[in-house]
Amino acid sequence: MAACKVSVIIPVYQAQRYLRQCLDSVTGQTLKEIEIICVDDGSVDDSARILEEYAARDDRIRVISQENAGAGAARNRGLSEASGEYLSFLDADDFFEPDMLMRAYEKARISAAQIVVYGADRYRDDTGSFQEIPWSLRKNALPPYRPMDCRTFTDNVFKVFVGWAWDKLFEREFILRHGLLFQEQRTSNDLLFVFMAIVLAERIETVDAVLAHQRCQNPDSLSSTREKSWQCFYEALRALKERLEHFGRYRELEQDYVNYALHFSLWNLHTIQGEKKRELYQRLRKKWFKDLGIAGRRKSYFYDLGEYRQYVKIMRTSWRRYEKSE
Amino acid sequence: MVKVSIIIPVYNVERYLEECMESVLGQTLKEIEIICVNDGSSDGSPGILKEYARQDKRVILIDQENRGYGYAMNRGIERASGEYIGIVEPDDYVSLSMYEELYQKAKEYSLDLVKADFYRFKRDRSGSMQLYYNHLSPDIQDYHKVFNSSTDPDTLRYIMNTWSGIYRREFIVQNHIRHNETPGASFQDNGFFFQTFIYARRGMILDRPYYMNRRDNPDSSINSPEKVYCINVEYDYIRKLLLKDSEIWERFKYMYWFKKYHNYMGTLRRIKEEYKREYLLRFSEELKRGMALGELDKHLFSKASWRNIQSITADPEQYYLTRVYPETMNRKVFEEMEALAVQNQKLKDEIASIRRSKTFRIGKLFTSVPGKMLRLMGRRR
Repeated sequence: MAACKVSVIIPVYQAQRYLRQCLDSVTGQTLKEIEIICVDDGSVDDSARILEEYAARDDRIRVISQENAGAGAARNRGLSEASGEYLSFLDADDFFEPDMLMRAYEKARISAAQIVVYGADRYRDDTGSFQEIPWSLRKNALPPYRPMDCRTFTDNVFKVFVGWAWDKLFEREFILRHGLLFQEQRTSNDLLFVFMAIVLAERIETVDAVLAHQRCQNPDSLSSTREKSWQCFYEALRALKERLEHFGRYRELEQDYVNYALHFSLWNLHTIQGEKKRELYQRLRKKWFKDLGIAGRRKSYFYDLGEYRQYVKIMRTSWRRYEKSE
Repeated sequence: MVKVSIIIPVYNVERYLEECMESVLGQTLKEIEIICVNDGSSDGSPGILKEYARQDKRVILIDQENRGYGYAMNRGIERASGEYIGIVEPDDYVSLSMYEELYQKAKEYSLDLVKADFYRFKRDRSGSMQLYYNHLSPDIQDYHKVFNSSTDPDTLRYIMNTWSGIYRREFIVQNHIRHNETPGASFQDNGFFFQTFIYARRGMILDRPYYMNRRDNPDSSINSPEKVYCINVEYDYIRKLLLKDSEIWERFKYMYWFKKYHNYMGTLRRIKEEYKREYLLRFSEELKRGMALGELDKHLFSKASWRNIQSITADPEQYYLTRVYPETMNRKVFEEMEALAVQNQKLKDEIASIRRSKTFRIGKLFTSVPGKMLRLMGRRR
């Protein structure tokens, strides 16, 4: 077999409904020299059988099974087994344009890029429509010249791309050299990996085309059950700070980090429901805003005054009054 | 013992190279070596260099495939063995006492670097030379005294160049001072300049002009309008160098932006019209980011410059329409007027020479005599 150009790593958990569409769009990629590592994260539905079926048909597919440990652990497992020049981490309920890997790989090769980011949109499962997500690749914040690294971004380094892995191609040697791993937790487990890669990369490239489709409005999807893992985002942010410090980049990126931490905290607060919302609200107010370095900053430190005002409001407002005003 | 190693990075400069080499080889300081790094020239430059190397043992020739200015300079510095290092661009030349006098000062005060004022020059078509004296500093008090630029960022205000001085070689080596080697890039002396200043503990500037910097070479890299973003790439590189040590970054970030601003403005004037709008938009984004991170110090800039920064960040499109585009149009109109004036003069000269010619005079005789006769006849009638 020809040298493997891209290792595609797919964590699979209870994905029987969409797995075929995902695997079809991966095995049908125009870039043929790939390996597809499916890590079955202890599914109890039909996923395992579907994987077996595909593996029997296509010898580029490898199936690894593990006891349920979360997508982060599954991706790390896949990463440790990968042998490709580049790595692609995809999700089992998404699907992709047939030339996604080809275009990303070629871009990476030509420019010796360590990360290639391409465009993505959202597929509404209920309506069958596609929604643009322009903020996943913020062109205005990128330089019109190359080489490009995160220091050439003209916006918050953590907001130019999104902290998910499926719209990006990573050079494997680069990832290994810096020992980057996914966090082994239920949600927000890719943020640390993606942001550290973006911060450490010397050459980042983009493909200006929508190549990946993220399924949303899926009732089984994790995002809608974040109540079980409402503190994961905080762990991710803390780990990010620790890693930035480890690589000597925290001081330089502190203002971006603090602003992003506020942004991400507010997003988590606004998108969670039920009992856990109260718990999160109080935790942010009493401890986490301080831990994340948000508290005690002057107003001009914040890029987004709307977010700053929300922060001030939360600090001044008890949960009861806040709940009423919502 | 070699007192000064003079490095000359050579790329397609056959027209000027001899003038340069003669001025270096004729130095009153004899203990020198001249390291010529031929960066893959495709003209007669390598032949000229070979001839000089044959005649004078002090000339060392390094040949390389075309790898760019920064790479060539770094090879030259690595090869150097002198106490001090000087740089001469191959289309420039130097006065014969330059290195003797700089070396003497450097030794007398144990300097890491010493730099001097210089001339920029142009020759017009008649061959006469226009000289522009460049003061490294507008303040005479800054000259002839030892400064510590590693703790005094204000010294980076001195006019930026790398060639009007010499550097202690050990100082260069110990601080790992190098040029950016990105191929195809330009302005790679900017990074070198920054590094020498952020590390030098003992520096001095002299108010004597030794170095002659040519401004009429049409092939000079600063005249290449295609290299639009080279200066941005170089300033990205400088930022990376400064950020290696957060203390250095904190100390020099304001001067970094001061230099960057002026260089970007220069680029905006230099590049072709079709690139200006996009360049300005990027410039505006970079300035806004710098402002958000508190990296610009208002007090370093003149009032006019600061107002300019405000305008560029507030509305770059408007700035382009009201400030950049009209300037381009003015220049175009002005150039057209100049061209028309030249043409006008040419036509006038042509008319004059026709009037002076024999054929015209004889012809005039033939046309004017019958003409006069006709007029006379008309009167009679």
